Amino acid sequence: MELAAQLLVILIQIAAVMGVVLLHVAYLTYAERKILSDMQDRLGPMEVGPHGLLQPIADGLKLFFKEDIIPAGANKIIFSASPILVLVPALIGFAVVPFGRDSLHIGDIEITPYITDINIGVLYILAFSSLGAYGILLGGWASNSKYALLGGLRSAAQVISYELPLGLSLVGPILLSESLSMMEMTLAQGGGFWNWYVVKTTPIPFVIYMICAIAETNRLPFDLPEAESELVAGFFTEYSGMRFSFFFLAEYANMILVSCIAVVAFLGGWQAPFAFLEFIPPIVWFLAKVYFLLFFYIWLRATVPRLRFDQLMAFGWKIMLPLALVMVLGISIAKYVVTH
Amino acid sequence: MRAKQSFFKTIIFSEILKGLRLTFKHLLVGKVITEQYPHQKPTLPDGYRGVIVHLRYDDGAEICVGCSLCEAACPSHCITVESAEREDMPQKRYAKRYILDVTKCVFCGFCVQACPVDALASSKEYEMATTDKRTLMMDKEAMLTLGDQYFPIRKKRPQYSEDRFSLFKQMKEVGFPLAKKGSSG
Repeated sequence: MELAAQLLVILIQIAAVMGVVLLHVAYLTYAERKILSDMQDRLGPMEVGPHGLLQPIADGLKLFFKEDIIPAGANKIIFSASPILVLVPALIGFAVVPFGRDSLHIGDIEITPYITDINIGVLYILAFSSLGAYGILLGGWASNSKYALLGGLRSAAQVISYELPLGLSLVGPILLSESLSMMEMTLAQGGGFWNWYVVKTTPIPFVIYMICAIAETNRLPFDLPEAESELVAGFFTEYSGMRFSFFFLAEYANMILVSCIAVVAFLGGWQAPFAFLEFIPPIVWFLAKVYFLLFFYIWLRATVPRLRFDQLMAFGWKIMLPLALVMVLGISIAKYVVTH
Repeated sequence: MRAKQSFFKTIIFSEILKGLRLTFKHLLVGKVITEQYPHQKPTLPDGYRGVIVHLRYDDGAEICVGCSLCEAACPSHCITVESAEREDMPQKRYAKRYILDVTKCVFCGFCVQACPVDALASSKEYEMATTDKRTLMMDKEAMLTLGDQYFPIRKKRPQYSEDRFSLFKQMKEVGFPLAKKGSSG
């Protein structure tokens, strides 16, 4: 009985987090279109609902009722598996993200603000995010289309090159908090914004992390895998209907996930920037920071053009990686000097 | 010094920051320059070439004399004219059948220029989307109705002299080659 109740609570938690994340994904597409169009002096979606508010639902319905096409030369099993292979790692990462400080108590049942707090949280997210590259590569390869193949290859190359500096930039917060757990990382940053790791590790690892995160999620200015003008749509050229929407969901879920990690690792998670602002609920702080980063993503998309592929590779290997390594060394030495 | 400055500018992404500032400014104060088309119609300039229409004289008579010059001028062969002699005025012709195929029309306005009696005009009608293609084969009546809608001010009909009317009358009686202008009252 006890076990069943616990299981039920966990399932409800998972369902709630999934629901909230998917809702955010839906409205992130809307926000992106609206903000982008505002920056380009347009109005964006205006037809469905007041100010186009129901547009994501209309889009979802349209994709749901579309015909499911598998190209004649495609490998059917891999072709249908890869969207799921992309979507699952994107959603599974939210399991370790701590959204708030206080647990909710209903009778004996405790509802935590995170699904689980495993002690290797960061490692777990990094592992799963690199698994997503397989889905992209396989999806591109199984489509039997040159555009999809090229997009998949580009994406794999890009994800692999930018994962190294991404992981290395997270070493700083890991060293300082002496933990891989997301919850403990957040707790170590309490007391004011000067304790946040964006300040403590100098902003360089944070900047490296943000750039790599943008490259990891295949967004402008690093959206070469799906460069419309060159590759139609990159690795999901041949996808339509629900499978296409899975890729789309995964892309936006990944965007939210990397923003969540950035907030936890560098911006103090749900911690308030000043002690006197702690009356505002932690979850509000967490969401505000995530929303700001998401806005920054969209803002950047409206501003910068796409890089050339050799520029992207040179930037990743010749600048980001050495810089990240130097920062790891620097933070380690500083940590050693301070503790001894 | 300059090299140092430009290096510093590069590492703080100064160019990108400049771009970000510009886009943010547009987010806050940018005026919307697009039109919400079906709700908000554009103001068309004079001389806009929409669907070709037929015009009428101020007394309601159609101007077209059925000369087929528009048909000859049309580069996309979308005009078909079949002219006939008028019952009341022999030797005067009119378009018995006039068909404008809007599906073929390229809205070049050559027919309007070719018309010797200014019977044709370009209206500002452009919303011709339809589920029934047959409605786009416009006959003279449809074109006249559309013309009434877009050109309410009509030009005056030239008046024929008594002499001319008597000629018509004579022609009706004796036929063309025998009738002479002014030969009979």
